[in-house]
Amino acid sequence: MSDQWTDRLSEYLDGELPPDRRAELEAHLRHCVACGAVLADLKRIVTRAQGLEDRAPERDLWPGVAARIGAAAPGSRRARPSGAPRRRWSFSLPQLAAAGIALMALSGGAAWLLRPLGRVPLASQPSPAATRWEARQLPGQGDGGVLAVAARPRGERSYDAAVADLERVLEAGRGRLDTATVRVIVRNLATIDSAIAQAQRAVAADSANLYLNSHLAETMRRKLELLRQAATLVSSVS
Amino acid sequence: MTPPGTGATTLQHEASGRTDPDAVDATLAASGDAHAFERLYRGHVNRVASLVRRMMGDEDTDDVIQDVFVRAWQKLATFRGESAFGTWLHRLAVNVILGRRETLGIRRQRHLDGDAVLELVPGRRTTPEISMDFEAAVERLPDGARQVFVLHDVEGYRHEEIAGMLGVATGTSKSQLHRARMALRQHLER
Amino acid sequence: MLLSLVHLALAALALTQQVDTTVSVQQGQRLVVDAYGGDIDVKTWARNAVRVEADAGSRTHVEVVTSAGAVRVRTEGHRGPPSAVDLRITVPVWMGLDMSGVYTDVTVNGVKGPVNVETVQGEVDVTGGAGLVSLRSVEGAVTLKGAKGRIDVHSVNDDVRVSGSSGEIVAESVNGEIVLERVDATSLEATTVNGDVGYDGPIRSGGRYELSSHNGDVTMAVTEQTSASVTVSTFSGEFESAIPVTLRETRKGKRFSFTLGAGSAQVSLESFQGTVRLVRPGAATTSE
Repeated sequence: MSDQWTDRLSEYLDGELPPDRRAELEAHLRHCVACGAVLADLKRIVTRAQGLEDRAPERDLWPGVAARIGAAAPGSRRARPSGAPRRRWSFSLPQLAAAGIALMALSGGAAWLLRPLGRVPLASQPSPAATRWEARQLPGQGDGGVLAVAARPRGERSYDAAVADLERVLEAGRGRLDTATVRVIVRNLATIDSAIAQAQRAVAADSANLYLNSHLAETMRRKLELLRQAATLVSSVS
Repeated sequence: MTPPGTGATTLQHEASGRTDPDAVDATLAASGDAHAFERLYRGHVNRVASLVRRMMGDEDTDDVIQDVFVRAWQKLATFRGESAFGTWLHRLAVNVILGRRETLGIRRQRHLDGDAVLELVPGRRTTPEISMDFEAAVERLPDGARQVFVLHDVEGYRHEEIAGMLGVATGTSKSQLHRARMALRQHLER
Repeated sequence: MLLSLVHLALAALALTQQVDTTVSVQQGQRLVVDAYGGDIDVKTWARNAVRVEADAGSRTHVEVVTSAGAVRVRTEGHRGPPSAVDLRITVPVWMGLDMSGVYTDVTVNGVKGPVNVETVQGEVDVTGGAGLVSLRSVEGAVTLKGAKGRIDVHSVNDDVRVSGSSGEIVAESVNGEIVLERVDATSLEATTVNGDVGYDGPIRSGGRYELSSHNGDVTMAVTEQTSASVTVSTFSGEFESAIPVTLRETRKGKRFSFTLGAGSAQVSLESFQGTVRLVRPGAATTSE
């Protein structure tokens, strides 16, 4: 069915007809049973459409998503934050790269010191491809395993942005936490900050030292982790 | 617990003065917290999955659903809390879906099929589940009509927005919507 | 006079409600507890049922709801936050536990399923657990005994102790020590900022063991039979060993490597300014 009247019924239903057209159509509807029936049908369709319920996917797609974002092991299906045992790796490489730090698993026993070249994009999360690395083999380094690389001040700004964001969440929400909990969090953040400061001074004096660099990275990660935990607390009591 | 008054932050909705828990999780996730992201996933996957399914018709949708969340993870830093996280995610999902269709080479000219639209929806045998029949009928609409119908009637976007997303004129969006609704009439229970 | 005493007695009863609910359960269902204050004490029995006992104040409501996947226990305040409720819950041995609270001490005894516990100001003490065992507290100590599987134990402001357990272990604290004794770890990450770390247990061939602290001492028990490639790193701390070692190389900033036996496990011992020690079994985790 298609004519000048029925063609306008959808626009009429949606309130999109100009006033004169609307008046015309309403006059027509007063004596056209067929059009009235069509209009009623269209209303029901819209109502049905608005009432359609969301349905879950056939299977749980989280493991696939987790694998692609480099997150914790699939199978962690809890609604609450829970630590999968490999939480140290819950930072994907792009996030660590954003802090100017990369953990590279080595093969073949060679040790490399990697430094980012050029600008690390600040606003977005850089993919490993977006961060070009200069590789320089260290003399006498022969142990395989995982090594950290030099943290560059420029790259630290994405880490700083994440820390700042979380500190804002905490500041906004700390009234919801009781004072004892706030004290504990503040005290522990101070402990970690002090450790970070000591590690930074040590790295400044010996920037090629792989242990110091990885220790600094790890301590910075601990701070972020504690802030995240505190922010989660804030959100869970809101 | 009564939320105390606090200063405005980008995470608060001014109207309610309460912090959107999704926004907190989004901040956590943007800093690398995959568990926070999983919470967001669990909270929104049904809506995203339904949108993908309805927009893409019969095609295999699991990949696209995952694509949406992977893209959301990559773009988290751009979520500033000005809208609700669900709204932001939904827009992103629509972009992923439409972008996907372009790479699959589906041409937009199918929006202009005209009367052929009405003939392409086969009548389905009645099933006990009326709702599934209706939803299945939506999925069988031709691409252009289906996308407009889903975006307008199911998801609530306006024609101007839909026209922008699909790259068609507003008038085309309106006529496609009407055609979709008319084609669905036969699938209403009597 | 008598009437007012009766009124008082009735009023006192009305202030507390006794909760004693038992629901039957099936394999695969979890126990989910969402508490606020008070203790959660979980024991096991041979029945396929969950029993929840509590003494709740009049301001607090204890709700027990069964669904296909779980038995959920919640404490809720009628107005505002709930007051403290001590929950005593008995579950089948196979049941997985998922429990959280704020001012909540959690004690669990005897379960053989996955355990997930989170509390803010409270201690966690679990004996048992298999599969995924994750225990977290912000303020309180976390203690785990007799667990098997993937173990993840965290406290922010207090100690973490694991004993008589096995599997892949992650133990973290910020202001607390980490003590792992009679622990058979196939992989281990134990790290704290302000406290000591001690490990006393087998060192498995092919295993990875990483112990680190910023301020505290890091101690690992070894014997002449231990087979491990060991890297010791420190900034301003010392290194001591109860068994003879040959340093393979010394790097600037105090980083040494050496091999024990065939070197088949990977061990990394780090302390920024504390002492790294290799000791005999039994000496690694001696309480002070």
